[in-house]
Amino acid sequence: MAIDDIINIQNVSFYRDDRAIFKNLNCAISTGKITAIMGPSGSGKTTLLRLIGGQLNPHEGQIRLFDQDIAALNRKQLNQIRARMGVLFQSGALFTDLSVFENVAFPLREHMHLSADELYNKVLLKLEAVGLRGARDLMPSQLSGGMARRVALARAVAMEPELILYDEPFAGQDPIAMAVLQRLIKDLNSAMNLTSVLVSHDIAEACAIADQVILLGEGRVLVQDTPAALQASNDPAVKQFIHGEADGVIPFHFAAPALQQELRGGSE
Amino acid sequence: MINLIADLGSGLLGKLVRIGQALLMLLQATIVRPKASSFSRLIQQLYVVGVQSLIIILVSALFIGMVLGLQGYTLLAAYGTEQAVGQMVALTLVRELSPVVAALLFAGRAGSALTAEIGLMKATEQLASLEMFGVDPLHRIVAPRFWAGIISLPLLVAIFSLVGIYGGHLVAVDWLGVYSGSYWGNMQQAVDFNGDVLNGMVKALVFAFLISWTAVYQGYTCVPTSQGISAATTRTVVYSSLAILGFDFILTALMFGGTV
Repeated sequence: MAIDDIINIQNVSFYRDDRAIFKNLNCAISTGKITAIMGPSGSGKTTLLRLIGGQLNPHEGQIRLFDQDIAALNRKQLNQIRARMGVLFQSGALFTDLSVFENVAFPLREHMHLSADELYNKVLLKLEAVGLRGARDLMPSQLSGGMARRVALARAVAMEPELILYDEPFAGQDPIAMAVLQRLIKDLNSAMNLTSVLVSHDIAEACAIADQVILLGEGRVLVQDTPAALQASNDPAVKQFIHGEADGVIPFHFAAPALQQELRGGSE
Repeated sequence: MINLIADLGSGLLGKLVRIGQALLMLLQATIVRPKASSFSRLIQQLYVVGVQSLIIILVSALFIGMVLGLQGYTLLAAYGTEQAVGQMVALTLVRELSPVVAALLFAGRAGSALTAEIGLMKATEQLASLEMFGVDPLHRIVAPRFWAGIISLPLLVAIFSLVGIYGGHLVAVDWLGVYSGSYWGNMQQAVDFNGDVLNGMVKALVFAFLISWTAVYQGYTCVPTSQGISAATTRTVVYSSLAILGFDFILTALMFGGTV
């Protein structure tokens, strides 16, 4: 493990029922960088994020986060590690019974002993950073999808974590919301000296802000490189994914017997 | 034949495993030192689970009491003992109908809502989000809802009995002309506080445990999809209702079996 790697994934295998999602997966994520984990749907991107966050444990191998084996930690130690990281869930995962302000204040109330004024100012500054100071009294149901994602981002950085995990931050966003999120992820990463890991299949948006890209497929890392190198790659699987070709090494058809065998009674 | 026995055995073992898991979940959720903030969350859930179930309990109790008054009067008048309608209404309610009907209504109204709410929290990653903030969802989400159910149902059952007895009074005394003194006097003489009222409340407590436990477990372990939440909500109502009726027979046999 290199000294500047915040996450190190070593020979990880993970199965759902009998299906291997990962088989001997190896990769490392450098401190202070924005790393995009990309791959086709079903390649295990979100599963990898959950493994890193300790919500799932690998069946084989180990994931070292802040130089600790995440699966070997007890709940208290895991919570201490989690206090050093933030997660932006795909759905935003805002608490629907709390206002925008209270959602952002939630981790601060749980883990920090701040005075009412300190808490208020801290929450307001985080909301200001995502441009939603004026929406502090709204409930999550009153927010648009893009706004909810930004509130979730403010909540994820409220504890000023060292690492932040983004699960599909651009999914389902309009072009303006997407650009806003892109800028926020980039700015927060440099302003707060964060390490960001974002799982995405929005190639252009993720590549535009990522320092390195990990491309997953067939249960392993297909390639780990800079976005520019990926664009120039001649690897057929990488080319197919980057250029969005429907069929290729990653098949268009789900595994099935030949069509001729399946058609009935002479119809073709 | 062997396969059938094997399937039956593995099905039974699976059920036992799930009961064990549910029990473990409940212990993890409830055996914890409460914080000051847990109290405010409990109050909030008491409102949602208990106060918001009041209307259906009040209306049902009134009508059931009125029906009991009417049926009781018709039946007893044939033997010239219509003055005993008060004791009949009260005993039927406090021993059986209040705990059972209130519990069935509670399972449909509050139990299903608890399952759907927790299931939806799971589907929208709110539970995962709590975990990532280092907050145990069992303590934060499951425990206050479970305790709110345990506290609310016995109170609702007591209210059900009171309103039901008043409903019986409306029909038997105010409408059909039974003497008010007989209605209350016979009731006072026939209803034993320990034997009838307290036993009814013990039933309510057992039913509250069964409903709350089923509801939070089904919500917490549901498949986080719309179909999964719908199935879990249905299971809460079906399992709770069957458990209420089954345990009602057992409890009745234990409490009143010797006096028959």
